[in-house]
Amino acid sequence: MSGKTVSLFIQCLVDTMFPETGTAMMTVFDRLGIPYDYPTGQTCCGQPAFNSGYHHDAAGAARHFIDVFEDAEVIVCPSGSCVHMVRHHYPELFKKEPEMHSRAVAVGEKTYEFTQYLVDELGFTDLQAEFSGSVTYHDSCHLHRGLGIFSQPRTLLNNVRGLEFIEMTDSDTCCGFGGTFSINYPEISTAMVDEKIENILASKAEVVTGCDISCLMNISGRLSRRKEKIKVLHIAEILAATGRGDR
Amino acid sequence: MMPNQNKFIENIRTALGKGSTPAFSDLYGGHRAKDAVQALRKKTTENQIQLVETFQQNAKELNLHTHVVASLSGAEKVIVEIIRSKTPEFSHQKHVVCHDHPDIAGLELWKRFNRESVTVHTTFHPDSQAREKTLASFVGITAADFGIAESATIVQLTRQGRPRSTSLVPSIHIAILRRENLVANLNEAYALLQESKNLDSFVFISGPSKTADIEAHLVHGAHGPYEMHVILISEPFLFPVDEEIQEANSKTSEGIEQE
Amino acid sequence: MSTNKHSSYREEAQKGIDSARLQSNLSNLQNRFGKGVMRYWEEMEDKGMRSRVKNARMRTFEHLDTILTELAKNVRARGGQVYFAETAQDAIDYTLSVARKQKVTKVVKGKSMTSMELDIDPALEKEGIEVVETDLGEYIVQLAGSTPSHIIAPCIHMDRKQIGELFADKLDIDYTDDPPTLTLAARKALREKLLSADMGITGCNLACAETGHVSLVSNEGNIRMATTMPKVHVALMGLERVVATLDEHREALQLLTRAAAMQKLSTYVSFSGGPSKKDDPDGPEEFHLVIIDNGRSKILADPEFREVLACIRCGACLNICPVYGKIGGHAYNYPYCGPIGAVLTPLLDGVNKHADLCKGETLCGACKDICPVNNDLPRMLSGLRQKLAYGSDRWNVKQHNLTEGYIYRLWRTITSNSFLYRTGVRLGRLIQRPFIGNNKLIEKMPSIGGAWTKDRDLPPIAPKTFAEIWRKKQRLKPTPAAPASREEK
Repeated sequence: MSGKTVSLFIQCLVDTMFPETGTAMMTVFDRLGIPYDYPTGQTCCGQPAFNSGYHHDAAGAARHFIDVFEDAEVIVCPSGSCVHMVRHHYPELFKKEPEMHSRAVAVGEKTYEFTQYLVDELGFTDLQAEFSGSVTYHDSCHLHRGLGIFSQPRTLLNNVRGLEFIEMTDSDTCCGFGGTFSINYPEISTAMVDEKIENILASKAEVVTGCDISCLMNISGRLSRRKEKIKVLHIAEILAATGRGDR
Repeated sequence: MMPNQNKFIENIRTALGKGSTPAFSDLYGGHRAKDAVQALRKKTTENQIQLVETFQQNAKELNLHTHVVASLSGAEKVIVEIIRSKTPEFSHQKHVVCHDHPDIAGLELWKRFNRESVTVHTTFHPDSQAREKTLASFVGITAADFGIAESATIVQLTRQGRPRSTSLVPSIHIAILRRENLVANLNEAYALLQESKNLDSFVFISGPSKTADIEAHLVHGAHGPYEMHVILISEPFLFPVDEEIQEANSKTSEGIEQE
Repeated sequence: MSTNKHSSYREEAQKGIDSARLQSNLSNLQNRFGKGVMRYWEEMEDKGMRSRVKNARMRTFEHLDTILTELAKNVRARGGQVYFAETAQDAIDYTLSVARKQKVTKVVKGKSMTSMELDIDPALEKEGIEVVETDLGEYIVQLAGSTPSHIIAPCIHMDRKQIGELFADKLDIDYTDDPPTLTLAARKALREKLLSADMGITGCNLACAETGHVSLVSNEGNIRMATTMPKVHVALMGLERVVATLDEHREALQLLTRAAAMQKLSTYVSFSGGPSKKDDPDGPEEFHLVIIDNGRSKILADPEFREVLACIRCGACLNICPVYGKIGGHAYNYPYCGPIGAVLTPLLDGVNKHADLCKGETLCGACKDICPVNNDLPRMLSGLRQKLAYGSDRWNVKQHNLTEGYIYRLWRTITSNSFLYRTGVRLGRLIQRPFIGNNKLIEKMPSIGGAWTKDRDLPPIAPKTFAEIWRKKQRLKPTPAAPASREEK
């Protein structure tokens, strides 16, 4: 155990639309006795702008992020794509500014995705969680290909009491969100999420989970429109569950 | 022609931010494969037999037919059987075209078909009728320069008297390959190519022609031959025509093998 | 074969999505070849080969002036002719001049994406020259009056029934949808063309500077025929399709055949670099290597994009791309489709013109994983998006969407200031009220939001954001990190 205080980096989508993911993270850290805080000045990592090519504008958000977070001991975020943004793209954004570049690199080095932090840094595999039901898992692109996080979520899910883990076909095929892609090319995005949903439904799981709320928002938004019954939960909510009134 | 090249190259130099163009040999100083080639020539019998097995194994999935025979006379039997049993695709008469190669001449096919209605042509150089003879033939017979066991590939170097079309135009291609000319993999094959003098045109052939353009469904027989045979001959070449081969053969102790 | 200049990316994409036939064919292709190649990379013994080949390619570009000079020298030593074409028109003009001199009446083509990029067929046909595609897939597409939709499998958008009907109509045979029978019919029809043509035009998979060879990879035998039987062979080569030495060729070739079709080697790998010797019955009397720029030197000059020249045109990225898998190749509206097409096309043919190709994918990274030479296509797409966002003098790009630019400038101001951000969230929570349905979800949003809600529901901004929950928690529980409490929901 590192004993460091975790500074929660709560993705803008989680903050505004899915706060239960953030509160679930707190529940898990409480249970494990990990101290945490929440830098209240945080806003957004800059991904929406970066994704659309507005790198200079994304750098504005990045500067703010670095200011807010650089004194943190360690930074943990419930989103693979945001962590990828900070680690991989922040240094690129400041490649012409040596001082900002070093600051960006330093912040990136202590930024972790939630499951990655729990398993790789803190050495946890069993979080004393309880969740009865069958669950399938979606590998988000930035999390999986960008950060190499594949086994950590599975390790944690497999140790949740009462949980039956089912692998879906093509778990790592893109769900079609792609940020502004889903708004600019909706027909392609919908076709992709429909295929992802076919694979989710074929797994016969009662719940689909993942580590990135953007993907889950995309998937649940389409599931809801299609009036499908399967539930969508961020992995933090499953890991926070202790089997009483959690569904 | 040259001013056009100069301008083009100048443009590339500008794109690269360079003032001058160094010589190729300064940048890519030749590393020769002479040692690798010497090693190749010293393969043991055991080694060669293993390579034959590997070649045959890899030929299967390519729909490439392989035959292992002790000597040229065994090869002749296989070839005659193929010619007798197959029907020409585009004509009613059986014509066969062969490379001008001592091994193929040694088969004496024209003798075997003396009394049968099979015409045997050889692509002697020069022959103004060579193309017509090739077009009329349903079987083309070549001697591979060497073979690659890992990919069941034969390598044909174009030489006078050994044109490219013989292994391409007829519907059935038969290649004879002496076991001593088998190498294990592409590394060894390229080493041999590196040491070949005056490398003109050449081709790697790994089985009959095929295509999967229709719904990714594999079909054998597109434009090249639809059927291909490689006859692997155990016996080494006994009448060397150049020093390299003579030297190689003097290092192999076995003579003709009985099968 | 001219490209369809009028359909937009989204329209063609929708057609692709709606075609059950295309979806089925691409799904089959991607399952077998996309996954197959990924498995091969994982199992391959010599894992260093990919980066070795990439490094060799990049080094080649650093010395491209030397390497092309050497290539030309060695081809000429063998009696071949070499022409350096700065533009597509130069290449076309040269090829036409050769055809005229040789009184060519019939051209057979080996599959060449470069020839399509040049759009050379109409120019030849205008001269009264018959042009016949001989690769089965390209032949089918030519008969159908269509364009290829995949770099390696040109008619993957058609099924056997369609091809059967096409052949029954154009080749005057009885209808069949049996692939072997159809292939045989094409074999017969094309054999006559291959054996009677007076010029063969091919591309060039990989030229070897050290030996002065152009090497061509195929399974059908049409390329060997097109380079052996006609009296003239013209090989069209992009200036980047060259390796320095035979040794580099060995490794690049293996990656190409593995990545393209999971083969150790394609059925035929032919090496040629000059006319045949006098009195040889085969082989062309004249060999012409046309080395083409057509915008490539500009890519070479830009360190941000030079990497894309390392592409060996294997098509593997198409076989794993989830976007390509849904929309098919025609949506890209240019000979190069799929992820590689999305990067190359804007750079060769105009970034603004092909803005949809720059923006129309999710940057999932699968193409980067599968690329045999480790090309970082997502990085380059991101770079192209930046050019569209702010404009670029170097690449002659105008800002693509001024309104969007203003929006993101505003967004930057808001996200750089936590007070503005919090206020913006509160404002959003007010504005959304009329849009929240009975099911507590937003089913219809105005303006660009409507693109989301057309097919998806959207949860509203929560009554309490996480930040607000935290603040409340801080007021109620001044000492942090109490043991597990289950009330936090």
